[in-house]
Amino acid sequence: MQNWDQIQKVLIIGSGPTEIGHETELDSATVQILTEFKKRGVRTLVIDNNPFSVALEEIQPTNMYVQAVTTANVRHIIEKDRPDAILPILGGLRGLRIAQELQENGDLGRYEVGVLGMPTTTLQQINNPAALNDTLKEIHEPVIEAQVVQTDDEALGLVETIGFPLIVKPVAPRVDTNRTICENVDEMLTALNQGFQQSRFDQCTLERSVVGYKEIEMVAIRDRADTELIISGLEDVDPIGIHSGDSIVITPPQTLTDREYQDLRDATFRIATELNVVGVLHVHFALNPANQHFYVTKVAPYFTRGVTLAARTVGYPVTMVAGQLLLGQRLVDVKLPAQYVKQTAIMEPTNDHISVRIPLWPFQEVPDADQHLNTAMKAVGSTVGIGRSVEEAMLKSVRSSQFSPRDVLPSVSNLTDSEMVSQLIHPLANRILVLIEALRRGYSPAELSELTKIDPFYFVKLRHLLTIERQITDHPMDVDMLKTARYYGFGDGMIARMWQTDTTAIRHLSRGAKVAPTYKMIEPTAGEFPEQTSGYYSTFEYENESQALGERTALVLGRGGNQLGPNSAAEYFTTEMLKQLKRAGYHTILMNTNPNAVGVAPEFSDKQYVDPIQLGDILNVIHVEHPDIVIVPGNRHYLTRELKKLDLNLHVLPPDQETKDHLPEMATIGVSLFVHEQQKIAVGVMDLIAPGMTQKMAQITAFRMPADLTKAQRLNLVEWAKQAVSERQVRGMVQVLFAPSPDSKQMVCVGTRPTRLTEMAFLSKVTGVNWVRMLTRQHIETLDANELATIEIDVNSTRVALMNAVFPFRHLHVLNRPGTTDQEVGATIAFGSSEALKLNNLSDTAELDRIINRTI
Amino acid sequence: MAKRYLILEDGSAYAGEGFGAGATTSGEVIFNLNLLGYQETITDQIYHNQIIIFAQPAIGNVGINHDSYESILPTAKGMVVRDLTNISTNRLSRLSLDEFLRQHNIPGISGIDTRHLIRKLRQAGPMKGSIVDVADAHAFDQLNATVLTNRQVDQVATPKPYPNPDAGKNVVVIDFGLKHGILRQLSERRCNVTVLPWTATAQDVLNLDPDGVLLSTGPGSPLDLGTDVLDMIRQVQAEIPLFAIGLGHELFALANGAELVALPVEYHGSSHPIRRIITNDVLYATQGQGYAVVAKSIDRDRLITTYVDLIDGTVQGLRHRDFPAFSVQFFADGAPGPHESRDLFDEFMEAMTAREG
Repeated sequence: MQNWDQIQKVLIIGSGPTEIGHETELDSATVQILTEFKKRGVRTLVIDNNPFSVALEEIQPTNMYVQAVTTANVRHIIEKDRPDAILPILGGLRGLRIAQELQENGDLGRYEVGVLGMPTTTLQQINNPAALNDTLKEIHEPVIEAQVVQTDDEALGLVETIGFPLIVKPVAPRVDTNRTICENVDEMLTALNQGFQQSRFDQCTLERSVVGYKEIEMVAIRDRADTELIISGLEDVDPIGIHSGDSIVITPPQTLTDREYQDLRDATFRIATELNVVGVLHVHFALNPANQHFYVTKVAPYFTRGVTLAARTVGYPVTMVAGQLLLGQRLVDVKLPAQYVKQTAIMEPTNDHISVRIPLWPFQEVPDADQHLNTAMKAVGSTVGIGRSVEEAMLKSVRSSQFSPRDVLPSVSNLTDSEMVSQLIHPLANRILVLIEALRRGYSPAELSELTKIDPFYFVKLRHLLTIERQITDHPMDVDMLKTARYYGFGDGMIARMWQTDTTAIRHLSRGAKVAPTYKMIEPTAGEFPEQTSGYYSTFEYENESQALGERTALVLGRGGNQLGPNSAAEYFTTEMLKQLKRAGYHTILMNTNPNAVGVAPEFSDKQYVDPIQLGDILNVIHVEHPDIVIVPGNRHYLTRELKKLDLNLHVLPPDQETKDHLPEMATIGVSLFVHEQQKIAVGVMDLIAPGMTQKMAQITAFRMPADLTKAQRLNLVEWAKQAVSERQVRGMVQVLFAPSPDSKQMVCVGTRPTRLTEMAFLSKVTGVNWVRMLTRQHIETLDANELATIEIDVNSTRVALMNAVFPFRHLHVLNRPGTTDQEVGATIAFGSSEALKLNNLSDTAELDRIINRTI
Repeated sequence: MAKRYLILEDGSAYAGEGFGAGATTSGEVIFNLNLLGYQETITDQIYHNQIIIFAQPAIGNVGINHDSYESILPTAKGMVVRDLTNISTNRLSRLSLDEFLRQHNIPGISGIDTRHLIRKLRQAGPMKGSIVDVADAHAFDQLNATVLTNRQVDQVATPKPYPNPDAGKNVVVIDFGLKHGILRQLSERRCNVTVLPWTATAQDVLNLDPDGVLLSTGPGSPLDLGTDVLDMIRQVQAEIPLFAIGLGHELFALANGAELVALPVEYHGSSHPIRRIITNDVLYATQGQGYAVVAKSIDRDRLITTYVDLIDGTVQGLRHRDFPAFSVQFFADGAPGPHESRDLFDEFMEAMTAREG
C-alpha cells in the first residue's frame, strides 16, 4: 500500500509527441496536474520530448528531462533523481507499459518507487487483456471471450453458446490477416477452412461479434477510500465497428433508458473498486440495443480523450480533482475554487446542455490512406458543439468541423445512389454529410438505422433539421424563420446561402430584429447553484448569462480542432500567448471548439466560449465582450480579411504571411532574427533538413541548431541575415533563408519569411527564451527595448538540439516516406553534443528517428 | 403544434409549443435535475398536482417503455421541457411521450428556457403556475384564485387493499402514493406483499401477521395527514420491523417526536452526495423532497441519524434506538437514479429474518 504522506517527489511519464490516438489533451492534463502537485508541495519531474509541450514551460529546467519516453530513460532518471513515485497515467498506454516494465524488472522495488493511480497488480492487468478478462469475470462483469478451436466440430459445438454473428481469427497467422465476421454456419466453416491454413498452429479463435452494438463510455473518478462518482456518460453515435475516436460522440447519452445507464454506472464502479483505481477511470461498453445486455470492451484507468471531453463539456474540474486524489486526498476533503458555490468536489455533475464531438480526419493531406472508418483510429483531432437541443449541438459541431469560417457545409449531392448505399454500409470520413444526404433522398430513419446500426433517434433528429431547413428556404428574409434557424444552430453562412444573399444581409436582419444569442454557462449543477465557472456556449433562448468581462480584455480566436500541419505547435503558441496577455494585465477570452486544447483550461484564459470559430459567432462574442484587442494566432486569410473590414484592434500573430516575400524553392540554412525597432537579435542558425534530400521548402521537417558549420561561418551568416532584413519592412521573428549557389557552392541568401510556429517553439525550447511572449509583448506594446538588448544568445552553443516531425503514415497504413510540413502531426526534440546528434546521411529517415529517440 | 404558455404567479409568462394534452392545468411548479428517467419521473405519484420542469433539455428520446412506469396513472399537472422528441420505442403499441400524455390528459410545453426557470425558482422559492392557451389577465386571475389541494395522498393512494403475492416474507406496504420501484425491489426479494390504504389501523396491519411493514413514498405534506397515522406507526414499529421511504420517512420521524421543516425550494435530483454515517461512505440516490426532518428536533433517546446530505445538511435517514425500524428520505429503489442504496432493502430483509430467529 502506498505511503501517501511520504510523497514529496513525483516523476511524470510524459506523453511524447502528438500522434493519431492522442493529441494535446495529455499535455493539457499534465499542466493541470503540475499545478495541483505544486500546491501540495510536491516536487514534480517530467520526462517528455514533445517540443510543443506547454507543460515543459511550466517547470524548472532542473525538473525537466527532454528525452525520449522509454523505459531505459525513465530508469536513468529514477536512479539519478530518486523520486518517491512515478505517475504513468498521463502517458497513455505507453506510460502504463513503462511502469509495468520497471515493476517487473525490479527497479521500482529496488529504488522504493511507488506508482500513483493504481496498484501494480492493476498495471499488469491493463497491460494483459487476458488477465483483465479473468478479473472482470470474477466480479461478474460480462466480457467478450475468445475460444480456441482446432476442428470444425469443436467450432460447431461452440456456436450455440457464442451465437451469430461471430468472429473467426487465425491463431498466430503466417500472413497479415483480418478477422472475419460470420453470420451463419456456412460462412463460419469457410472462414475456419481459410483460418486453419493461415495459422501456424492450425488453430482459430471464435468470439462473439458485437459489431453494430451501441458503444457507451463512462468516465468516473475514485479516491483511495473507495468514494466514486461518474463525471459523464458518453454515447458513440456510430456503433461498435467504428473506433470510438472516429465516432461522433454525444454527451450526456441520449438513447439510453435510465435503467441501462444506471447498470453501466454500477458496472463502472464495480470495476474501479476491483482494480483499486485512484484518480480517473474510463470504461467502454458494448450495449446490445435489442435486449439491454452489455459487455465491457475497454478499461482505461488513465487520462484519455474521453476523460478530457467529459471534463470540458460537463464543467467539472476533473483533472484538478484527480490531481489531489492521486496524492491521497479523499473526495470529501477536496475543496473546489470559489467559482463553485458549494466548493465541494463530491457533487455528481449533471448538465442541462448537450455536447457533440465530431472527429477530424487527415485525408486531405494524406489522400492515399484508406478512408474507410473501421476499428483502427484515423482521426487526428476533433471539434465540439454545445447546445440546448441535439439538433443545435449537432449542427454547431458539424459547422465547426468544416474549418471554413464561411460557415457552409459541402454538398455530397453528386453521389450516385449506389455510391451512397456503399458509403452508408462502409462509412467514410464525411459520414455525417452522407447520412444527411440519404435523408434528403427520402430514406427513412428505420431504413438508415438498419444499414448503419445508428440509433433511429439520430435520424429523426437529422430529418427534423432538414424539415427546418426547408421551412427556412421557403421564407426568405423572414424574421421568425431567422429565429427558428438560429434556435436550431444554423450559422450565418448557411442561412445566407438558403436565402441566396450574403452574410452581411443576415447580420443586418438579425440586428434589426434583435435576434441575439443568449450565452449559457457550462457548469456541473444544471442550474441548481449559481456557479461562476468561466466556460460559455451560445444558444438562442430567454436569458443571457454572459456579461462583458470588463476592462482591458483580449479576445483570442483559437484554431478549432487539431489537423495535420503546425497545429500542435499552434496550440503551444496560443497558450503561451494567453499567458503573456494575462501577465500584461489583460483579461483573456478564448474562443475554441477543440476539447483537447491546452488554452481552454481556466489556468490560461479567464473566460472561454465553446462556439464555432466562424465569422457570425465571432461577431456575436465581440458584441458581448467589446474586447480591446482581438488576436488571431496563425494565418487564416479569409477570417483575417473579413475581420479587418471591421473596426477592431486586430492582431494576427505571427504576422500575416500574405505579405511574405516570394519564397525560394529550396534552402539549407535558416538564420532566425528577432527584429524590434532598430534591434536585430540573432536567435539562432539552424540546419534545415528535408529528409528526402530535395531540400524543397515544403519538405523541410527537421531542424538542427546550431547548424553544422564553423563558428565563423555562423557569425558570418548572422551578419548577412541582419543586412538582408535591413532592406525590408519586417518586425518580430523572421527567418532568413540561405542555400548554396549552384555554381560556386557559396551560401547565398535566398529569401526571408516570418518564422513558422513549429520553429518558434523549437527556438524557445533551445534558447530558453520564450519567443512567443516576446512577440506578443511586441504587439501589445509592452516590449522593453532595453530588456531585449540584455538577451544574450550564443549562436555557437556547443549544446546541439534536433527537432524532427512526426507523421501519421504508420497509423494510416500508408507507405512511409519523407513527409511535408502540412502532413506533420507532431514532433520530437532531443538535446546532445554535436557528436551525438551528428547525421551521416540526411536522407535516411530511419537514422534520424534513431538518433532523436535514443536512450540518453 | 399549438402555441401555449406557461404562466407563473409572479406574473411572468413563457411562450412555447404545446404537446401532450391540450388541457389547461394549474399546479405547483417544481424542477427535476435528473439526467435521465423522464418516464419514471412523470409517473411517480409524488408529482401529483405538480408541474415539472426538466433540467435535461432533450426529453422523449426513448419513448414510453413497459418497464419504466412508477405508476400506471400519472397525475402530474404538466411537463415543461426545452426540446421534445416524439419517438416511440415501445415494443407493442407505438407509444410516444406525446401520446402518453394525451391519453392521461396531461399537458406539456416545449421550447422553454428551462435553465432560466430553474435558476429563477431556486431564488424565488415555490410558485404556482398554469399551462394555458392564452396568457391574458383572465388566465392570471384564474391562476391566482386557484387553491391547491392538500389532500394529495387521498387522491393518489389506493383506497382498497390488494395483494402482490410471492413465496417469501410477508410484507405489508402502506400506500401513501406508492412508486412501483418499491414493489419491484420487494418482488426481487420474493416478498409476499399486501398493499394497504394509508388509513389502515395498526390492528389492520397486525391482523395480517406481517414479517415487516414498509411505509411508502407519497406526495404532499406529511403534516396534512393527521395523527391517526402516527399512532399506527408507533404501535406497529414496536411489534414488527419497519422500513420507511420518502413521505413514509417523514411520518416515521413525526411519529417519534421529530419536527419537519418545509424546504425553501423542493429538491428533485440525484447529484447530492449522501453520507452513510455508520460506514462514513458516500452514495447517490434520487431525492425528491419538499420537507426535511429538523436535525435539532430529533430525540436522541429514540432516534439515531443514519444518513445525511452533504450538500444541504438535511437528515436523510433515521433509525429507532429500541426497535428494528429505520427510514430514509431518498428513494432507495433507484427508479430512476443510482442503484447503490438498494441494499437498504436487503437490510430490511435481514431485519425481518432477525426477528424470526
